[in-house]
Amino acid sequence: MYGLGRKLFAGYVLVSLGMLLAIAGGSWDITNHLLNKPETFFAPPHAVLYSGAATAVVGTVLVFSGSKAGSVRAGKVVWPAKLVIVGVIMLISAAPVDFAWHSAFGLDGLLSPPHFVLVSGMIIGSTGALIGLTQSTKRLPSVLIVIAILPIWLASSGMIDMFSLPFSETNYFNFNPHPTLGVIVATLAFPFLISACLIGSSALAGKRFGVLSMAGAAFIAIGVLTSIIPNSALIATIPFYISSIIPIVTADVLLAFSRSRFSLYAAGIIVSIAFFMMYYPLITYTYNEVFGRKVVWPSLIPQIYFEMIQDVFLVVAIPTAAMGTLGALLIDRLTRNKKYSDKLQQVA
Amino acid sequence: MVKTIIITSAIAVALIVYFSLSLYIFPQFYRSIEARRPQANVTDVILSARDITLGQTLTISITGTNNGEDADMQIVSVGFPNLTATDNIKVLKHNFDQTPILISPGELLSSEYTNTDSSIVAQYSSVEAFSRPWETGKTYSTNIEVIPKIEGRFVIFVKSVALPHTSEQAHYPLDGILDPQKEFVEPYSVQVTKP
Repeated sequence: MYGLGRKLFAGYVLVSLGMLLAIAGGSWDITNHLLNKPETFFAPPHAVLYSGAATAVVGTVLVFSGSKAGSVRAGKVVWPAKLVIVGVIMLISAAPVDFAWHSAFGLDGLLSPPHFVLVSGMIIGSTGALIGLTQSTKRLPSVLIVIAILPIWLASSGMIDMFSLPFSETNYFNFNPHPTLGVIVATLAFPFLISACLIGSSALAGKRFGVLSMAGAAFIAIGVLTSIIPNSALIATIPFYISSIIPIVTADVLLAFSRSRFSLYAAGIIVSIAFFMMYYPLITYTYNEVFGRKVVWPSLIPQIYFEMIQDVFLVVAIPTAAMGTLGALLIDRLTRNKKYSDKLQQVA
Repeated sequence: MVKTIIITSAIAVALIVYFSLSLYIFPQFYRSIEARRPQANVTDVILSARDITLGQTLTISITGTNNGEDADMQIVSVGFPNLTATDNIKVLKHNFDQTPILISPGELLSSEYTNTDSSIVAQYSSVEAFSRPWETGKTYSTNIEVIPKIEGRFVIFVKSVALPHTSEQAHYPLDGILDPQKEFVEPYSVQVTKP
């Protein structure tokens, strides 16, 4: 650890962990809502979400005090810490706004102003925590890379879900995207995100083998726990879902073995092209609007999904590969910029 | 060079295996699994009286069960073809997972045992009690109080529908009178006389 105090470091770790818990709880909650399971304020998914938010708040307090104490310019808060503080304030302030929204308009959909603020806060806060952690050491431990990258990945996925899933029509508002637009958003944004997050985790680890696979495995594990196991009709499809680890490990091997740009882009394509499988089961609702046009009952998700998987794959393969390349390109640029600024700092 | 060839071949094989699994083998396997078959049933319908006087309340106790596999949703519907308003219908108690809803004439209802397609406009008042999900073997009941507004024969339509509607067994009764939703109902009636 260099340049940062222990308090600041612990704060960033707690913020990442808290955001991870909160978004995992949120994902579990969405599944329970789809199943229409009766819920209370103290339902298990809510408990996970609140615990995560509380952990993030504790982490933010540490980040704030650690940042002021440890800053080169004493008394000034460093910019990743500012991102964390803004993100967590947005996360916390979304709760009363959400309550007011419920009071005014009853049941809400997936996309609503308070939900948008909540997920934006998660993305901003967890991005701040990741940047803060990367500034804390020359090389982050593998587990910390995974813990820091996952909340960004999951929260950004939540944001894409908001603008692609048809879950936002209520008695007062219809925020549902047009079905075709929803499919376009999902087809372009998910592959880019997968590629950027997984290639990014590998880049943070200096392309050593294992970190990319760990991040992918953790994403799959969270999906199994929060989206598949709660719906008993989907349990039989777990082998299909976890088979997505194959392209992830393949990309990891490729990056660890070859440092060429070609390998980087190939790895981006390999991980992103599995996006339709990695975002099962929720993605069924998005693509069914265009490819299936059936009523998606929770117990019928496997039948509907596997009926359209080949058609969807044929249509989305090329844009998916292009977006996967773009994600890898972004990480390549960021890595080069970081190396360049590190060299400048050394010279200075 | 040899290492490169080995790694490249291993990656190619892994990807071929993956796409064969996820695009052909798994889909074929999962498509062959039959959808769940819930079996809706109404086991008890108890009317508080066979004859009542105008202004008196009638209490209907109704119990439904699912004798098949888990249903994502099962509805027990009690319709009142003689009523065009819901102001004299009251759900006294229930143990359904969700709160029963009162349907007024003019509201959109599904028909022919589908969920959203082919909606029709409700022609009379009814109560829809439902549980989401309705697990196999579970029994739910409700007591509904209604005050008939005119004398004569006061008709009550009872039915239960499990969704998704994957077989004939998913609705109760299996045959009989069709209501405006083109779904079978079991009719009951009481005689309403002048006080």
